[in-house]
Amino acid sequence: MSRKIHPSVVGAQPFQLTARETFDGPIFETPEGKERLEMALSRYPQKQAALLPMLHFVQEKKGWIEPDDMAQVAEALDLTPAYVHSIATFYTMYNKHPVGRHLVQVCTNISCHLNKGEEVLERFLAETGARQGEISDDGEFTVIEAECLGACGFATVVQVNDRYFEDVTPEKVADIVAELRSTAVGTEGGS
Amino acid sequence: MTNGEAKRAVTLTIDGTEITVPQGTRVIEAAERVGVVVPRYCYHPGIPTRPAQCRMCLVEVEGRPKLEPSCTLQAQDEMVVHTASDTAEKARQSVIEFLLVNHPLDCPICDAAGQCMLQDYAYVTNQLESRLNEPKQVMGRDRVADDILYFADRCIICTRCVRFMRDVAEDDALIVAQRGHKAYIDTFPGRELDNPFQGNIVDVCPVGALVHEDFVFKARSWDMDATTSICPGCTTGCNVTIDTKENQIVRLKPRYNPDVNSYWMCDHGRKHLVMTNRGVRAEVPMVSVDGALQPTDWERALDHVADLVDDASGANGAAIVSANASNEDLLLLLPLLGRLDVSSIVFRVPTGETAALPTVPKLQLRADRVANAYGLELLGAERVEELPALAEGAPLVVLDDLLEGADESFGATASPFIYLGTRLPAAARNADAVLPIATFAEMDGTFTNFEGRVQRFHQALTPPGLARPGWMVLSRLLARLGEGDPLSDIGAAFDRVAGTSEPYAGLTWDSIGLKGALVSGAGATAASMGSGS
Repeated sequence: MSRKIHPSVVGAQPFQLTARETFDGPIFETPEGKERLEMALSRYPQKQAALLPMLHFVQEKKGWIEPDDMAQVAEALDLTPAYVHSIATFYTMYNKHPVGRHLVQVCTNISCHLNKGEEVLERFLAETGARQGEISDDGEFTVIEAECLGACGFATVVQVNDRYFEDVTPEKVADIVAELRSTAVGTEGGS
Repeated sequence: MTNGEAKRAVTLTIDGTEITVPQGTRVIEAAERVGVVVPRYCYHPGIPTRPAQCRMCLVEVEGRPKLEPSCTLQAQDEMVVHTASDTAEKARQSVIEFLLVNHPLDCPICDAAGQCMLQDYAYVTNQLESRLNEPKQVMGRDRVADDILYFADRCIICTRCVRFMRDVAEDDALIVAQRGHKAYIDTFPGRELDNPFQGNIVDVCPVGALVHEDFVFKARSWDMDATTSICPGCTTGCNVTIDTKENQIVRLKPRYNPDVNSYWMCDHGRKHLVMTNRGVRAEVPMVSVDGALQPTDWERALDHVADLVDDASGANGAAIVSANASNEDLLLLLPLLGRLDVSSIVFRVPTGETAALPTVPKLQLRADRVANAYGLELLGAERVEELPALAEGAPLVVLDDLLEGADESFGATASPFIYLGTRLPAAARNADAVLPIATFAEMDGTFTNFEGRVQRFHQALTPPGLARPGWMVLSRLLARLGEGDPLSDIGAAFDRVAGTSEPYAGLTWDSIGLKGALVSGAGATAASMGSGS
């Protein structure tokens, strides 16, 4: 991992997208999977509590969570697959469909709407060539509309994987997309 | 909590009526005792969890600033509750308005129309115009089990079905997916429900979101007649309501009985009875003329049978009865068997796998897939595995047993061979007389369940052709033989059971009521019968 995260919160933070990989075999039989499961379980009195961290872990690795992953998480935590499905679909920050290397979320809530958020979204779609919610043909981008990202003082806000782009105007979009194209996933914040 | 505390009573006032209830009673239940039904969606008396999420049962409590959900609010001394104050009604109206925002209003094609709680309350709150300008969200339809469809647009996410599966059936396979206005009920992708009690999610659905596929578009609720009955699917004897239309059973719904099935029933029972619509029935009395059965009328048929009985001389006769025969049918068969000197009365019991509902111990799909095995034993019949060997020239009486496993010449040498049945299997063609009788759904009567609870069922259908209830036919035959008067009243028929059989002594048709009554000595005998394994 490129970022330093305190071990106690590994897996508890949303969108720590590090790669677009697949698991080599059953998730919790891989060394990494075992380690993360044990780490999460050690923090809670009940297995069920490790559900969100484990879903985050899967998403960190793959970029999204598919039903088979949910079933594996369910088995590891003694839950029913249906229950895991319900939790995974409840939270919008878990991706239930594959996403591009860069997941671009454009806020169009009140502040951003007043600051041309809709137009920013349109420009992102045009620049990346992706249709909303789908992966662009080159596999680089998925652009979606997001509700409030909690940075209303800096509208329009765009979140790309973990990184916030603030005060985005339609004119800046082309540069951002160009920058992202040349950036490896997981290092957006660092370069 | 000690017993003393548990029994403490509290007195509160609901809509101006004072009522005393045990401590811990919820206001929504206390209100029912004074005849006030507080509107509700998520609350169901049979489901232990109460999320108070539908906000329909909000009531005003004097001295409290906000409305309170009456399904979780515990009754307290000196509480003054107004269930229909202006504030409460207004809140309820808002709830309905929100629920209707994306509701398709497809009542004209919805199977729940007429018994839909959303329809009822929307009508009561009198909101004829929607204030919504946006197009409605369309969500479509899904299958949650092999025989249950889910109409997401109609769903109000009360989660009764989810909580039934999770908290009553303890099978956490049904969940709410997504959230907010996108929420819908779902199973795990690619899987369906597979629980022997899953049909109950359709019953608890307050709207038309969950529907049995075999019921879709079959009947409007106002076109059906509902009859109080007993499920004959196994020896549990679940209390049910049979819904019929045009003399066909359309569906079964469980009927509340805390001593048997609570609010639930199993899927085997539901499907089993609807199947009884099928097949060709015996509809006309027939007597054997020169070795071939000829149709005739009841008078001639009964005269003929009476003559046969008078002329009978063979010993070691046999009687084979269906384990779905009612107590009255068998009881009235006994004097006839006495006349024929038949002492061996046997019945066979098809069996199947058992299934239990974890939180309702008595409610099980029991191995014995018949209605009245225990009742028949109380009246002296004996359970056997195989059809008995018949003595040549001996009398043979069959009461509605389909003679499965019998070869074509079964009973050909019996004298006389009297067949009373709802259907006409091949071996019954050897009978000297065939008397068509009604199924349990076509008459009144009683069954006695696995623990000795005698329960009433009522006539839901008209018997086909000339078929008549077995006890009615037998009483007329007995009258011809000089044994008692003909019976036309089920109460009198049951009185004969109570007067003849010791365990039933003291019971009457009226005293059994709609919840059944335990026969005397039931506990001990039931224990020896086991719990159905």
